[in-house]
Amino acid sequence: MNQFTFEAKQKTFLLGFMILGVLCLVLSYFVDSEPMHVRFWSNYLHNTVFFTGIAGISMFILAAFTTAWAGWHTGMKRVWEAFSLFLLPGILLFIPIIIGMWGHWHHLYHWADPHAVAADPILKGKSGFLNPVWYTFGTLIIVGTWYYFAFKNRQLSVAEDADGQGVADNYWHHRKMRIYAAIFLPIFGFTSAAVIWQWVMSVDAHWYSTLFAWYSGASWFISAMAVTILMMIYLKGRGYFENVTDNHLHDLGKFLFAITIFWTYMWFSQYMLIWYANVGEETIYFRHRLDNYRPLFFGNLIINFVLPFFILLRNDNKRKYGTMAIAAILTLFGHWLDFFLMIKPGTRLTALEAAAEHAGGHGAEAAEAGHKFVSFAAGFTMPGLLELGIFLGFLAGFVYFVFKQLEKAALVPSNDPYLDETMHHSVWPYPEDGHGAHDAHH
Amino acid sequence: MTRSPNKDVLFGLYDDETKILSAVTQARAAHLDIYDVFTPFPVHGMEDAMGFTESRIHQAGFVYGLIGTLTAFLGMTWVFTSDWPIIFGGKPYWSVPAFIPVTFELTVLFASIGMVVTFYTICGMGPGILNPTLHDRITDDKFCLAFDVTDVSDDEKAKFKAFLETSGAEEIDQKHL
Repeated sequence: MNQFTFEAKQKTFLLGFMILGVLCLVLSYFVDSEPMHVRFWSNYLHNTVFFTGIAGISMFILAAFTTAWAGWHTGMKRVWEAFSLFLLPGILLFIPIIIGMWGHWHHLYHWADPHAVAADPILKGKSGFLNPVWYTFGTLIIVGTWYYFAFKNRQLSVAEDADGQGVADNYWHHRKMRIYAAIFLPIFGFTSAAVIWQWVMSVDAHWYSTLFAWYSGASWFISAMAVTILMMIYLKGRGYFENVTDNHLHDLGKFLFAITIFWTYMWFSQYMLIWYANVGEETIYFRHRLDNYRPLFFGNLIINFVLPFFILLRNDNKRKYGTMAIAAILTLFGHWLDFFLMIKPGTRLTALEAAAEHAGGHGAEAAEAGHKFVSFAAGFTMPGLLELGIFLGFLAGFVYFVFKQLEKAALVPSNDPYLDETMHHSVWPYPEDGHGAHDAHH
Repeated sequence: MTRSPNKDVLFGLYDDETKILSAVTQARAAHLDIYDVFTPFPVHGMEDAMGFTESRIHQAGFVYGLIGTLTAFLGMTWVFTSDWPIIFGGKPYWSVPAFIPVTFELTVLFASIGMVVTFYTICGMGPGILNPTLHDRITDDKFCLAFDVTDVSDDEKAKFKAFLETSGAEEIDQKHL
């Protein structure tokens, strides 16, 4: 089947989860143990960043593969194209956060409060970059630029289906895509770091880490791979993508495995340098998480490194649908949790400090108080049921959008110069058609 | 030192990779026992034609890596907690984060060196070891299919020879290695 049909049953199912997500989001506005409705706003920011990042990384994956002249992935590139178009809803999702920042509806970012900045030399020093104007235009222009490339890439790819004539027209669609990809890569490389600093790292406004963008970028990459694996397994189960075999799944698994190790490398490098240097204003980031978020802190390492490492180590495991589905669900949830741990403690402290200040406490004293022990709070110390509901809601929205895009074009890019390569992709010693011993039950 | 397998080998030389690939496939289909195939460069599809299964060298690599992990971690633990405890930068003696880079490096080192040594040993290669060659042009532009004819009946030998002739070998010879 070359044409995807978005069935009414799937629509109802996904809409159901989207409604659940919205309900949970609204509920989290009212059910909150912490001040300033920070549970609602941090949940919204967390999921928006997570899914927009998956879309951005999908465009990066496509651009990197195109630039590297890769052909193995061509059979499933329509899925990544659909993911990358989610950048547009991503921009829209950021608009409430931006408006909220200008209207002072939320206290997600300590640096967005002009009184706090005026009294704080560190925040004043960073205010050239950490200010609402930069945040607004940084987000809109940078994600807008990414979307432009995703849109162009998709447009050319679909146009190639209709009027690409292969050798006869010198593969001009593909050549053009290659140029767009090559321009996109350095832009994404620098700008992704800038938005990660703005969106995520600056919730701990006093703290910074030069490795942070790599670390959270790796987190996005693994999440994107995990969603891809789940999507391919689901769509293959529905009879689509006959040409995507165990060999392709194997390579997706290799990516999941490799980037998992890369993520761990980044995580550890960031941790160890800060631990070793033991400079107070850097160490506080980990001290706070170790004191107050200990189960999440170590759980993060177990879910995102120890388990996927041993599950994905063996060759055969990367070709089993069930095992790969488990590894993908584990790492997708794991890296959602990773972003949770990046965002929640900082936003919570900011809200507690802001509340203390409003109550009349001196700024510095309030800040001091904030860094001490904070009590258990659902939605912060641990994700509550509301957080899971919101996650499922966003995921359903993402999948709904992706299915909508998949419907608009053929699933196999019939005039892509690399189509032949993807059809005959094999990982030795497994056979080309992928019908190994493990394929028998599918 | 010359390594001698002490075998009589009957071999044929082909002048093209496609010819040897089909000869190997035919030989396996005819249930002829191939001693080995020698080519000047890796021929795509030869592993499948010769019926190789996946190498188990990575399993050995896992074990070597594990030995490296334990050597580094337990070694540093012993040195820094009981043999010669020193305080570095106010950190505890048993500072796990500081041990991890070294543990990682020794894991990689043990795994890679162990696998190289294992591979060389299995293949009978190494510094100073000379392996006899069947024909000089195997390292240049000829593709060689070899059968082991040590203690083989004349009938059997004739069968091998006939196969080499029919499958397109341009030169057939026998040599004691």
